[in-house]
Amino acid sequence: MDGRYSHPSFVARLASAHVVAPRRVVRSDNLPPMTDSPAVAISGISKVFESSSGRVDALRDIELHVTQGEFVSLIGPSGCGKSTLLRLIGDLLEPSAGRIEVNGTTAHQARLNRDYGMVFQQATLFEWRSVIENVELPLEVMGRDKAERTETAMAMLDLVQLTEFAELYPYQLSGGMQQRVAIARALSFEPSILLMDEPFGALDEMTRERMQAEVLRIWAKTGKTVVFVTHSIPEAVFLSTRVVVMSPRPGRIAGIVDIDLDQPRTDDTREATRFYEKMTEVREALRGVQAG
Amino acid sequence: MIAATQGNAPIPPDELSPGHRRGWVRTRVRRYLPAALLFLSGLVLWELIVRVFHIKRFLLPRPTEIIGVFGREFGTVTAAGWFTMREAMGGFVLGAVAGVAIALLTSRWTLVRDGLMPFAIAVNATPIIALAPIMNNWFGITNPMAKMSIVAVIVFFPVMINMVRGLSEVSPGNLDLMGSYGASPRQILRRVRIPNSLPYVFGAFKVGTTLSVIAAIVSEYFGGSRDALGVYISQQAALFHFAEAWAAILVASFSGIVFYLAIVAIESLVIPWHASIRAVADT
Ligand SMILES: Nc1ncnc2c1ncn2[C@@H]1O[C@H](COP(=O)(O)OP(=O)(O)OP(=O)(O)O)[C@@H](O)[C@H]1O
Ligand SMILES: [Mg+2]
Repeated sequence: MDGRYSHPSFVARLASAHVVAPRRVVRSDNLPPMTDSPAVAISGISKVFESSSGRVDALRDIELHVTQGEFVSLIGPSGCGKSTLLRLIGDLLEPSAGRIEVNGTTAHQARLNRDYGMVFQQATLFEWRSVIENVELPLEVMGRDKAERTETAMAMLDLVQLTEFAELYPYQLSGGMQQRVAIARALSFEPSILLMDEPFGALDEMTRERMQAEVLRIWAKTGKTVVFVTHSIPEAVFLSTRVVVMSPRPGRIAGIVDIDLDQPRTDDTREATRFYEKMTEVREALRGVQAG
Repeated sequence: MIAATQGNAPIPPDELSPGHRRGWVRTRVRRYLPAALLFLSGLVLWELIVRVFHIKRFLLPRPTEIIGVFGREFGTVTAAGWFTMREAMGGFVLGAVAGVAIALLTSRWTLVRDGLMPFAIAVNATPIIALAPIMNNWFGITNPMAKMSIVAVIVFFPVMINMVRGLSEVSPGNLDLMGSYGASPRQILRRVRIPNSLPYVFGAFKVGTTLSVIAAIVSEYFGGSRDALGVYISQQAALFHFAEAWAAILVASFSGIVFYLAIVAIESLVIPWHASIRAVADT
């Protein structure tokens, strides 16, 4: 708990969130398997989109290993295939070539094992469900009982500070609030891997920093693996253990920057000299990509 | 709203909606007053024109004459209206239930859907009402089933076609999410496709209410029970009792509107989240 959380009600809510849902921490069914297999192993992945209007070489020869508990960010110019890569990992797309292994099995099996919590660029809320019903949906699909669903969903809404809005419908929320509901929903069933596609793009700067701290806190506490797409260099550097810089047409990995800043990251991290050095490193890698 | 997006001091939900109780009556009055005024001045104008220009009563009876018919024939006209509305509503329920059922079945067997839809769309574009004499022949001219079956067929197609659309035109993002939860096709049907189809279905129901009243009355023009509104209208017109015919037409219009509003009310109960209702509620 650092200085940013001086708002008393927020501290109280966070505390209560932990009291309300102890099961989330104890439950082990969705924790990563105790093996040395990487969380995500991508080898030789290419993706070509064929359509009537032509071929798009979205990704070519992607090699990437994400170890258990890592926080990896993907950064690169618009259209370089970040979302596509994330969707391939999540088994929402089939690669044109190459293999993806997740937690020692196929991406497909990992999806059926409910290993993925996904947050998309758009909030994609179900407009016929209230906020809390949206957060409960994955738990409903997974057959959890009503009491547990409500309890967990309320704790998750607490986390994103939307408890007061639980009974509203998505159209009654701002874009940023909808995105926070989507984040709460992705966390609700304790997936071992979080795939987040520019989840904070619609948020104002203060909320954004608070959500970043939230994600880091959850990440540190639960040992989840996170693959995170962003357009923001400071965001990538602040959150990640590694930043993957991608180049466009076809999308390739142009460079990987290790972010060996101290954990846990706090507000002080953002002001450290090393933070700026790392930002410069990422920026230069990106500049090389865009010039080429 | 700024405070709310920052999440520091969320606005209580109550204050988000502009529809405070006190303003509600005023906005309703402001909304419906122009229509009411226009309606009344229309009636007055009608009366004046008929009187001033001495228009023959068999061409256009005066509103006061038509109101006079309600004084004399109220029981007959409303009983006929109720008789016909039972046919319309009975046929509507049959057609709507069948439409929803077939649409749900085709969501299971998409091959059936792809085979069926072109025919459904083609048939829906034909004047089904032309079958009325045939149905009179099949079921017997005074059997209400003859009219109900026409109504059912006319309501069936738009309901079925729209429900199939609603079941398939689902947001890809929502499907991706369900996929990421490892949801079964059955769960996706129940939690995504069916809710998504409800606005489409209610749109078809609303069209269906008007269609069903039209279909019932017009098929009665081809002959039917003496208690039926369509029969009453055509007989009175044949006897040059045009005020009576007009009064019966008014009953038909009124019943049709009530039927429509009943579906709108059910819609706002079942799918309060739907945009078209939301837009009305906010004005
Ligand atoms: N379903 C699809 N069909 C055809 N082409 C596609 C499809 N999805 C993505 N593409 C193409 O693949 C390329 C990569 O798209 P992608 O959405 O992965 O980019 P991105 O890096 O996420 O961009 P942004 O930062 O703007 O979100 C683009 O050129 C896009 O046009
Ligand atoms: Mg993208």
